[in-house]
Formats: sequence, C-alpha cells, structure tokens
Amino acid sequence: MAETAATDASSHGVDSRRGFLTILTGAASAVAAGTIVWPLIDALNPDAQSEASARMIVDVADIAENTAKTAWWGGLPVYIRKLTAKQIADAQAVMTSALPDPAAFTERVPAAYQNYVVVVGLNTGTPCALEGNAPADPRGDYDGWLCPCDGSQYDPLGRVRSGPAKKNLAIPRFKFINAAQIQFG
Amino acid sequence: MTTELKQSWAGERLPIIGGLCTCLFAPVFKPGSKYFDTLLGLIAITLAFLTFSGAVLAVYYDPWHAFASVQFIDRNVHNGWLVHAYHATGTTALFGLVYLYLFRAMVTRGYRAPGELVWGLGVKLLAVLLLVGWLGFVLTGGAASYWSLFSASNGVLALSGAAGAIGNWFFGGPAGGNALARLVVFHAVLALSALVVVGVLFSARGAVAPKAERGRGVAFFPYYLSQYLAALAVFALIFSVLAFFAPHFGQPRANALPADPLTLPVAVALPWYLLPLAGVAGALPGIWGGILGVVGALAVLAALPWLDRSGPSDAKGGLYSFLTWALALDVLGLGLSCSPLLTLLLTLWYFFHFLVLTPVVTAMEAK
Repeated sequence: MAETAATDASSHGVDSRRGFLTILTGAASAVAAGTIVWPLIDALNPDAQSEASARMIVDVADIAENTAKTAWWGGLPVYIRKLTAKQIADAQAVMTSALPDPAAFTERVPAAYQNYVVVVGLNTGTPCALEGNAPADPRGDYDGWLCPCDGSQYDPLGRVRSGPAKKNLAIPRFKFINAAQIQFG
Repeated sequence: MTTELKQSWAGERLPIIGGLCTCLFAPVFKPGSKYFDTLLGLIAITLAFLTFSGAVLAVYYDPWHAFASVQFIDRNVHNGWLVHAYHATGTTALFGLVYLYLFRAMVTRGYRAPGELVWGLGVKLLAVLLLVGWLGFVLTGGAASYWSLFSASNGVLALSGAAGAIGNWFFGGPAGGNALARLVVFHAVLALSALVVVGVLFSARGAVAPKAERGRGVAFFPYYLSQYLAALAVFALIFSVLAFFAPHFGQPRANALPADPLTLPVAVALPWYLLPLAGVAGALPGIWGGILGVVGALAVLAALPWLDRSGPSDAKGGLYSFLTWALALDVLGLGLSCSPLLTLLLTLWYFFHFLVLTPVVTAMEAK
C-alpha cells in the first residue's frame, strides 16, 4: 500500500512522499523569500536621526513657575509652561460652558503633572507666534498669552478667551517620561 | 486545473488569469529542458530584484550629495548596507547571467534561424543594461565615477552639431549634481525599459521554442518549476557568497573616496562588466573612435545570425566552436589588458572574428 501511494503520480496528499516534499519546498521558499524581502521593507522605516527628531525629548525641570520655554518640534514653536498655584485655582474656577471653545481643566493639562501646560504657540486666528512666555511679557487680561498680530487673548491653559480667534491652542502629541522630561511624538 | 480556473468567477471576468493558468498548468512544454535554459528566467528575477532594491535606494539617494547620501544609506538606514550590497551584487550577478546567456547562445549556435530575433533582443538587452550599469556606477559619486562622468560628458559636449546637442540634452552640462539629478532618472527609466525588453524576449523565445508532441508534453507546474527552484538555489548560493564576502567585487578601489574635481586618480577605472567594451572604445582614437567602438562592437554582435553562413545545415563545426571559445578569451583579455598595444590587438581580433572568420569558417564547415 505504501509503495502504491509513493509511486502514484497523481497523489498530492500530505501522506505521500511527494506531498511532503512539496510542502517542505514551499515552506523553505517562503522563508527564503521573506528573509530576502525583509531588509527592503525594513529599510523604508525612518532612520535613527529622523526618528530621534520626530520623537524629541525636552528637559522641563529648568522651567521656573509662571514662565514658559519654547521647544521647536516639527517646525512648530511649542510652549511648555509651568503654572503657579493661583493660576491653577483660577483656571479650575472658570465656568467651562461660558468659554468660546469649552474645555475643562483636565483636558488641557497632563493627568500626572497638572502644573504643566504644553501647547503649540501659534494663534489659532491669524497664525502668529504668541507673546507671554516670560512674566514681563504682555499677557493680556487673563495672565496667559496675547497675540501681537490680531489681539486674541488666551488664558494660562491656552484656552481662547477673547479676540478674533475661536479655537483653543493645539496640544501636540507628548508624554512625560519622568518628572523632568517630556517626549514628543 | 486549467479549465477549472478559467471558468472560475475571476477567470471569466479577467481573461489574463486564464492565460496565466494555461502558462502554468497546460502540458505543452517539451520535457528534458537543460538547466541553462533557466538563464533568461534568472535574468528576469534578478532584474526585478534590482528594481525593488533600487527603489529603496532612491528613497534616500541625493544627487547633489551623492557620495554622502550613499554613506548615509550604508551607515544610518536600517539594513541600508544590505540593500546597497543587494543592488551592487545584483548588478554583478545580472551581467554575469547576461554574458553567460549570450555566450551560451553562441556556443549552441541558437542565434540561427528562427532564433535571430531572440538573439537580437538579447544583444539589445545587453546594450541597455550596459548603459544602465554605467549610469548606476556614475551615480555613486565616488572618485572613479566622477572622472568617468567627467571624461564622458566633456567628450560629448565638445562635439559639434547634432551629437553635441544630444549629449548636452542627455548630460545637462558638465559632471556634478546637475548631471546626476537627471542621470538618476535615466537610470531608473532605462532599467524599467530593460524589464520590457526581457518581457518581449520571453514572448519571442516562446514563439520559436520547440513544441512538445501531442500528448507527450509536461506542464510548467510542477516539472519546470522544480527545475527553476534548483537553478535559483544554486544562483542564490553564489549570490550570497558574493554579497556577504565580496560586496565590492569588480568595483574600482578609487570609488571608496568621494569625488574631488581637483584630484585626478592614478588610473580611471570602471566596474568589471564595462571593461571589455571600454577596452574596445579606448583602442580607437578620439571621442568618435570611442563611440564607433561601442556601437560597432554591439552591431557586429547583433549581426551574428547573418554573419554565420552555415545556412540551415545542422553541422557543428569543430573549428568554429574553438573560435567561439577563443572569442570568449579575447573578451576576457579586453577586460584585463593593461597595455594599449594588447588592447588594440584584441580589439582587432574581436572585429576580425565577426567580420571575416565567422562568414568564412561557417561557410567552409557547412559544405
């Protein structure tokens, strides 16, 4: 019986010798093709340099309270601001529904580090870099940021409070990797 | 299996699937094909492989900083060194296969009627690939590449009339980033056109291939597929040894240095696959001598089916077979020769072989 199965040319079953060899050859060919093609696909992943700039790490431990530092990420100025206790209390006291673009306090700050605000520092009306990072800068009526181009005003959380602008400042993709550093991307 | 797939949902709506099934499963091929008959298939696979690896390299290649971008690929891109080795070794493998394919057709005298068109397309493939290969060599931006482009572009730009105008159009000015920016496009487009030549070559070869007697044929799957896999395994072994142990095989050493317009290398060298033709081109004086050498060497090769005067007789002459092997040594010598006199003699022998010996000896032996 075994001899019949082995010599039967039309038998392609797994039991036969030919079936086994066909599967073995197919599997080996698939592994070989995959090994050859994998470097070509992997080479199209971003190289280490562009990966590093796309996932930039910024030190935030040196930021004094009530000031912000600018980090350039993806060609955009990102403002990282450390809030004072009074600014936090004021921001939490605001009636969210009365704002032009309603957003709660917890939506604007990272959950674990609620005294930091990270926003793209471009006015959402006329695109223009905002003023108000240093305590001595003009900050408008809400102690946040002021647009020198169209006069829009933002509070310390980056929520729009008055002016031609209608939307809050954009929040970039970031996370705290420890108490002193944040990583973008 | 053929009729099943032809009548399937997709087969009825897309006739090409039915055609593909006929190619794979119809028992129409003559059994007992030689392993060397897989050369054309290996050429197609290698060419497709070079297209894919070239597409990946093109993502990172920058003609304005050619050498630096190749260094970047080698050092900073994930597996970039391997993709570069794929492309460089793939080139060596491809020219090895094409030279072997043409030489086999000469030895078996398969170029004779009805195989003239297949032979001519093979020579055309070699011609296109030589141009693509030279362009790829120039694109690396090494010292040898720069001076090769420098002499070619300056030589052509110095010509007057239509030849100079075509050269100006092709190179877009003297060697440098402006020339490389367009040559990278020509390299890619001509490589794709080589794939088209291979496709036409397959079709032409299928038309003249010996047909199996009715009821005695075999199907491509699995009979010839297993032959292809065996050939591919041997090819892959040779390829791996070259790629991992000799990634710079046949490349001039000066190319390890970046191009410097103020430093002329001791010797302007070319990759191995261009050396025989460069020998013929260099043996004749002047830029027109070089152009005439390249065109003439390929033209007499393409004219071989008509230079062979043996007619339809199947006689295989011992003397002509010996002369064909001597021609292989002659071409090898053209690639290795360092003395101008030897190169000139080998060039003369090359043309003497095709224009005098071939008609005379084949006509003599056919009697």
